[in-house]
Amino acid sequence: MVDLLPDRLAWYVGGPLLGLLIVGLFAIANQPLGASGAYVQTSGLLRRMPNVVTWRVWYFVGMFVGGVLVTQVLREGAEIRSGYDALRNVFPLWAVVPLVFGGATLLGYGAAVAGGCTSGHGMCGTAQRSPASLTVTATFMATAVLTTLALRIVTGGEL
Amino acid sequence: MKLNLIGLLFGIGFGGVLAASNLHEYDTIHAMLRLDEFDVFWFMASAIAVSAPLLWLLERRQIHTPFGGELALSRSKPEKHHVQGGALFGVGWAIAGTCPAPALVMVSSGALLGLVAIPGIFLGLHLRERQSKTVGHVGDGEHRETVVVPG
Repeated sequence: MVDLLPDRLAWYVGGPLLGLLIVGLFAIANQPLGASGAYVQTSGLLRRMPNVVTWRVWYFVGMFVGGVLVTQVLREGAEIRSGYDALRNVFPLWAVVPLVFGGATLLGYGAAVAGGCTSGHGMCGTAQRSPASLTVTATFMATAVLTTLALRIVTGGEL
Repeated sequence: MKLNLIGLLFGIGFGGVLAASNLHEYDTIHAMLRLDEFDVFWFMASAIAVSAPLLWLLERRQIHTPFGGELALSRSKPEKHHVQGGALFGVGWAIAGTCPAPALVMVSSGALLGLVAIPGIFLGLHLRERQSKTVGHVGDGEHRETVVVPG
C-alpha cells in the first residue's frame, strides 16, 4: 500500500477532472455520466429483467472499484468502520440505521420521479444547460439545505 | 463489448474522483448542507464550468460519437415531476448524507452503513418503477436510449 493520496483532493483539481469525465462519456457514447441509471440497470440484471443496458452495470461495478483503488490502495488508513461519524455522535446506532435506510429510500424514489440524481441532473444535466435539470437541481439543493437546518433545530444544534 | 469496458473505466474514474474528494463521507456532505464548508459546491461548479463549454463546442461541431451516433444534448422543459422528485430527493439526500454514486464508494472505503444506504436506494427506485411501470426509463438525468454501433 502506498500513501499517494493521503489528504482530500482540492476541489479545483477534483471538480475539473470530473468535468472532463462528463465530456468524455458524451464524446464517446453520447451518454450522461448518471449514477441512478446504473442502479436501475443493475437492479434489472439482478432481477433477470429483459433489455438490461449492460455497460451501465459495468459502470456501477466501476464506481465501486474506483472507490477501492483510491481508499484502499492509494490511501492508507481506510478501515472497517460504521461511517456517519457526525450522525452517530447525536443518535444511537439503532436510530441511525433506520434513518440512513429511510433517507436512502426517499432519495432513490425522488431520483426515479425526477429522472436523475446529483450526477445525472445536478452535473450532466446542468452542463447540457437543460432547463429540467436546472429545476431539479435548484429544488433538491433547496430542500436538502432546509432539511439539514430542520434536523439541526430538532437536535438542538447538535447535528 | 467495448462499451462495457468504457463503462467500467468511466465508473472507476468517477468513483475514484469522488473518493479522492471525500464525497463518500457523511461528514463532508453534512458540512456542505449545513453551509459550513463550500468545497463541494465549488467542486460541482468547477465540474460544470469545465464540461458545459466543452459540450457546447462539441455540439456545435456536430461530432459523431463512436458508440452513440450523433452527439445530441437534451434540453427538456421542466415538468411537475421534476420539482416533486427533486424535492423528495433533497430531503433524502440531507438525511442519508449520500447519493447513489458516493454510497458505493462509501462501502468500498469500509464504512459499513453504506450497506444500509445502497439497499435503500434500490428500494426507492424500485418502488417508483412499480408505480409507474416505466422499467429502465428512469435515471441518468436526461435519459436516452443507447444506440449500440457494432465495433
